[in-house]
Amino acid sequence: MSGSEGSEPRSVHIKPEEVERFCEFLYRRTGMSFTQGKRYFIDRRLEDRIAATGSSSFQAYFSLLRADADHEIEHLINSFTVNETYFYREDHQLRCMTSSLLGGIAVLKPPGSTVRIWSIPCSTGEEPYSIALWLMENWPQVDNYNIEIVGSDIDTRALKAAAEGIYGERSLMRLSRDILTRYFKPTADGNHQIDEGLRGSIEFTRANLIDAQDMGRYRGFDLIFCRNVLIYFDDASRRQAAENLYDCLRPGGYICLGHSESMSRISPLFNVRRFPDAIVYQRPEADHG
Amino acid sequence: MPLVKGGARGSGVSGDPTPQRPTLDSSDAESRWTAARALAGHAEAVPELAAALDRETVPRVREAIMTALMRIGDTASVEAILPCLRSQDAGLRAAAIESLQALPEVIAPFMKSLFGDRDSDVRLLATELARNMKASEASSLLCDLIEREQHPNVCAAAIDVLMEVGTPEAIPALEKCAARFAGTPFLPFAVLVAIARISGAEG
Amino acid sequence: MVDIGAPAKVRVLVVDDSSVVRLYYRSALESAGFEVEQAINGIEAMERALSKPFDLVIVDVNMPRMDGLTFLRALRRSAADVAVLPALMISTESETQDVAAARAAGANFYLVKPVAEAELVRHVCVLTGAVS
Repeated sequence: MSGSEGSEPRSVHIKPEEVERFCEFLYRRTGMSFTQGKRYFIDRRLEDRIAATGSSSFQAYFSLLRADADHEIEHLINSFTVNETYFYREDHQLRCMTSSLLGGIAVLKPPGSTVRIWSIPCSTGEEPYSIALWLMENWPQVDNYNIEIVGSDIDTRALKAAAEGIYGERSLMRLSRDILTRYFKPTADGNHQIDEGLRGSIEFTRANLIDAQDMGRYRGFDLIFCRNVLIYFDDASRRQAAENLYDCLRPGGYICLGHSESMSRISPLFNVRRFPDAIVYQRPEADHG
Repeated sequence: MPLVKGGARGSGVSGDPTPQRPTLDSSDAESRWTAARALAGHAEAVPELAAALDRETVPRVREAIMTALMRIGDTASVEAILPCLRSQDAGLRAAAIESLQALPEVIAPFMKSLFGDRDSDVRLLATELARNMKASEASSLLCDLIEREQHPNVCAAAIDVLMEVGTPEAIPALEKCAARFAGTPFLPFAVLVAIARISGAEG
Repeated sequence: MVDIGAPAKVRVLVVDDSSVVRLYYRSALESAGFEVEQAINGIEAMERALSKPFDLVIVDVNMPRMDGLTFLRALRRSAADVAVLPALMISTESETQDVAAARAAGANFYLVKPVAEAELVRHVCVLTGAVS
């Protein structure tokens, strides 16, 4: 035990069978699984969470986790995933959008029609702006359609920041110099603000995924990005959110989840669709009996 | 600029296409879906939802009815869902288990009777309901079950749940189960794994 | 001389919501030289089947969110390369109507639990054409 101020938590020794028990719980709940080679990665995070919760043993921690005391599931998932938002995050889905999904949508909709895309949660705006930038840079048919992009979140402070559109280096790190100069202006304090035209073209709204009435105001979307939020919800809330999202899509519309997420842990309402760049989920065109 | 501000409803989307008020009896699935979703949280709608569940064939409407009952989450809604455990339809059975699993406190008083059901399929499915209960309670219920249970697949299902919820008190019952089914495929293996996982719990 | 590498292992997808069943099948099949991946229900099974080629899927019936029969029907309707995936259904049901339902949904073969390791391996070898 070190002699530093404050007591160092005694490091709890975790047995292999306990790690198995934990891994099965995590896999069942989230779909996340790890190969033998990643074992130390799990051990470390498990030790961290045991210490962070002040648990005296693995068993004490596991009971806490099962009961989701103090939002432990959220903390646990956060420790296993990278949560920061930035431009062009998970760009294989953006690529899927322009390479595959919009092609299907354009077949059904004549030029001049509206294509509606929703980013929910949009957080501080990186995702809806990324969608806009990507479309303008990568979709040859972008000028043939009216593209409505809506960005929604439950957090009004995040929405305010999104509307302001000011971002730091870390958030912009995936953008090329070229895109940065063409679509952003540097601000006095070393940040960049996205063009007024883009800021004005995204509708930012407050919405709660679990609130059916709230979500009932949204209809007719061709594509929804709902990334890295459903994994945190409990079973009942996930089902509720899935039903709400289903209603917000037009028949045949698509929904993209986060990279660690799967409809297998959420809802059977959607069909699984494979495209070269991504697996996405689709609201069926029609009901089967 | 191709980007256009549209908002919630969008510039091109017309109003609600279903003209008359949607009910659980409506001839089209979309209306029945809308009606079911609107009834979530309305305890007085349980009889209506139960009746609809009985006759509904479209999977997503069934799902919405189940969700509505689950969100009401009282004893009456549990009683409405329970008969689905006996259905020939695997999808309906799965949906029922999921909804009931979300209501551990409400389903608790039914567990003894479910574990004593004459139908082994019902006993088997019911083991999943213990998973979301407090470990001591779940472990105790499942041990009582495996002590009496003759059907190997029911024991197997119980053991799978015990891997997660089992306390050290469950070990004797597990060992007896392995002895009872010694020489059969699978169960002795399952007991070994379960005991290993549970023993890891010993301080 | 051209090195063509080791022969690719035969890849099996095991779909069952019981972790101990998956462990049991995996241990038997890996010992027999098969490569094994897992899924906990029909939706995850579909995701796996669409993500890489498999030689066989072993699927249970009772699973949360999407049962085995619904999965098989969806599998048989999906992209051509995946729709032909051989399927061994292993379930607790043994009534003839359940076997018929399995066949109608698209199962190639049906076994009743509990299945002994040796029996499992034998059937997988036959269904994948592998020599164990």
